[in-house]
Amino acid sequence: MIKFGLLRRSFCIRASMLTLLVMTLLLSGCQSDLFSSSSKTFVILSGSENKPLEPLVKRIAKESGYDVSFDYKGSIDSMNLLQADSSRYDAVWLASRFWIELGDQSKKVKLTQSIMTSPITFGIQKSKAEELGFVGKDVTIRDILNAVNSHELNFMMTSATQSNSGLSAYLGFLHALLQKDQALTHDDLQNEALRAEVKQLLQGVNRSSGSSGWLKDLFLQGDGSYDAMVNYEAVLIETNQELVKQGKEPLYLVYPTDGLSIADFTLGYIDNGDADKEAFFKKMQENLLSESTQQEIGELGRRTGFGGVVANRNPNVFNSEWGIDLDRNISPIAFPSSDVVLEAMNLYQTALKKPSYTVFALDYSGSMANNGETQLKKAMETILDQEQASKYLLQGSDEDVVVAIPFNNQLIDVWKADHLSDYKSLLEQIENLKADGGTNIYKASIQGLEQMRNVDTSKYNVAIILMTDGMSDGSYDDFAQTYREVGKDIPVFPIMFGDASDEQLNGLVKLTRGKLFDGTSDLISAFKEAKGYN
Amino acid sequence: MKGKQWGTLIGIIILVFVVGIGYLFSRNSDLTSGGKGNITVVGNLGGEKIGLFSDEEIIKILKDRYHITVDWRKAGSIEMVKDYKQGPDFLFPSNQVALELFKNNHAEEIKGSEIIFNSPIVFYTWNRIADALIDQGIARQNNGVNTVDTESLLALVNEGKSWDDIGANKNDPNSKLYGKVTIISTDPSKSNSGNMFAGLYANLISGGVVNDSNIAAALPQIKAFFQNLGYLEPSSGDLFEQYLKTGMGAKPIIVGYENQMIEFAEDNPAVWEQVKDRMRVLYPVPTVWSSHPLIALSDNGKKLIEALKDKEIQELAWKKHGFRSGIVDIQNDVSALGIGNIPETIDSVIAMPTPAIMDQIIQAVQ
Repeated sequence: MIKFGLLRRSFCIRASMLTLLVMTLLLSGCQSDLFSSSSKTFVILSGSENKPLEPLVKRIAKESGYDVSFDYKGSIDSMNLLQADSSRYDAVWLASRFWIELGDQSKKVKLTQSIMTSPITFGIQKSKAEELGFVGKDVTIRDILNAVNSHELNFMMTSATQSNSGLSAYLGFLHALLQKDQALTHDDLQNEALRAEVKQLLQGVNRSSGSSGWLKDLFLQGDGSYDAMVNYEAVLIETNQELVKQGKEPLYLVYPTDGLSIADFTLGYIDNGDADKEAFFKKMQENLLSESTQQEIGELGRRTGFGGVVANRNPNVFNSEWGIDLDRNISPIAFPSSDVVLEAMNLYQTALKKPSYTVFALDYSGSMANNGETQLKKAMETILDQEQASKYLLQGSDEDVVVAIPFNNQLIDVWKADHLSDYKSLLEQIENLKADGGTNIYKASIQGLEQMRNVDTSKYNVAIILMTDGMSDGSYDDFAQTYREVGKDIPVFPIMFGDASDEQLNGLVKLTRGKLFDGTSDLISAFKEAKGYN
Repeated sequence: MKGKQWGTLIGIIILVFVVGIGYLFSRNSDLTSGGKGNITVVGNLGGEKIGLFSDEEIIKILKDRYHITVDWRKAGSIEMVKDYKQGPDFLFPSNQVALELFKNNHAEEIKGSEIIFNSPIVFYTWNRIADALIDQGIARQNNGVNTVDTESLLALVNEGKSWDDIGANKNDPNSKLYGKVTIISTDPSKSNSGNMFAGLYANLISGGVVNDSNIAAALPQIKAFFQNLGYLEPSSGDLFEQYLKTGMGAKPIIVGYENQMIEFAEDNPAVWEQVKDRMRVLYPVPTVWSSHPLIALSDNGKKLIEALKDKEIQELAWKKHGFRSGIVDIQNDVSALGIGNIPETIDSVIAMPTPAIMDQIIQAVQ
């Protein structure tokens, strides 16, 4: 046990002199490990849709004396994290092996195995699906495009540049509408007619997000106000279980015949040279793939089994009433080569996705001075400077609208950028302003709503990104009143910093079906994440 | 601190020394390789051999009889020679071309090399598709062994025939296969099975082993063929796993090694019972041999070559992992296998193009 604890901390061992090594151990954090018998930690970098499997994994791990924790990130983020520094994690478990392959540039990931599969499909309210004639027949992506064009269907979908499910759906759209039935190429992406059709289809997206798990939560919060959502079959099953529990209409799953993808949920070990961890990983993986655990995973709506024969066919989970037919073949598209995928993602971000209308309400109160102010300005630079933004696939399109509302206890100003060419001066204004005064998040958020009151928001993916660092004056009720008056689905995505009150911010989140982002340890990452939802 | 705690602390300090020294020594293989203690042999191997190198029986023989522990890392056969950096004791790709390519730049580093195993390239498909191909006269069944005319099968793909066209849906109207006939391989620029398939493909569209005189004409078609497949897995193990897990719609026909099915059946008898009537192996006529040369880069690597020639290891490699022996005086016995429909010998084999030609093919598909 002690021997293990030492070997694990190889950075300590590498000290060239053993005496120094002993001193280091005794004086540093390694000391506590020597004296405590606490369990060993094992961190998995994972997609958010694996959350329902966390208890199962923890239970398996406990037998080996390991405390497994999950760090949930989007696929694109995970790929970047693997590229930057995979030593922070012990294992990686993503929706598609593709992202591991792309991220693992230092070749540290091994023992990769698919634990389960799940196709990415459309879940449509059953009455709506019937109305559209989608029940009991083959549906193509063109049928869905037609329904969008005739304003009969809107759907929620994660961002194709942040999340695997959104990207898979988007690639399916390109593939199907091209009607070539071969992998997409660079040339295909230049096809103007194809671009126009996919752009039309994406006009049908009414809410987006950076994560598939959160999209489900949003759908359920919507309480019947959303028609449909693109997600993993497994997540759609979870949604339906919840809807049924609430006595509500479940979603009908539609599997377009020409634009499907299957997620393979590959789990791999990140080899940082710790033999004990590797042995534990093998044991855990073997357990996950054992017949009994595979059955349990099947209970959670994930497909398991071999040769297209699903092992767990529980009809309450894979419910035929919901349009699920396990005997039907799923013929996914040929996934394009990685450089084509990256080009398609850039195309999505800069030209095809529904334009964003983003209001940044930015706290310039006195407490922001120095560190807070510097970080805030850096964060805005990351988003507005297109060269930096493109590193995270967060760059804008020329149709996007960006509004910045700096505030303290008063509104300081309202700055608007209608085109990419305006971003530079917008950023200058943001950078030149100095922090001062008190805090009132409500005034600024109300101004954000006012900004969109007369905008045709069906043409935009809208959001108020509210960054604040302190307890706010002002009244929630005023905001709630304006929100109801404006009567639009405008989410507030607050970013918490410094002494901000999560109670106040959660009030806004709840009312507007937004999401709170924690920027206390890393404000720039929180801004990137929030922008990824819009 | 009380006396007991001091005692513990001193004990810990001693332990730190002992462990630390042991650790430092174990990092330096030169200090241990001369002795009779275990040697750790570090190297890269293709995904298809992971099962063999994880086999407890084989691990034990290597350890007990030869004092060898293998510390391996998975890498594509082409990738491991192209991205080679000094350090490992061996490389274990699954074709001769990889060895030849390695020789081009690193000949002086090779301490020895020898073909340890062989396995033919095969197609894995599903009963419905195999039966449709038999009906079309493209595939045949003889004593349980399925063979397919490679050229005719590739022609279906090149002509853009759909699954409907070849009758793969006629008995299953409610569970249709959508789209065109496709054969999915691994990435020819990274993995051996894909690379060998590209060589086989190039041969067949060139009317024989493709050479300097006709490679230029073949390249555009080879390039288009692989471009149409899109993203391809970098390893044959991963592709075979996906074939099994995502099923017929996703992976209707894949390129693999013969050994993969034998190994899978051996490792997963219960699953094998469930899928054996659904999955089908098609032996291409002609096919290409995948030979597995072990390239030793150090004396320890050479020791591994000798160890792997052990009769018992060779037998286990065939029975449990499906690798036909690369050693001249060892015969493989089909009746020793737990599954049927495996031919005693592979008769129709075409030579791979030369490494220089293969290099051109890799460049084209990259």
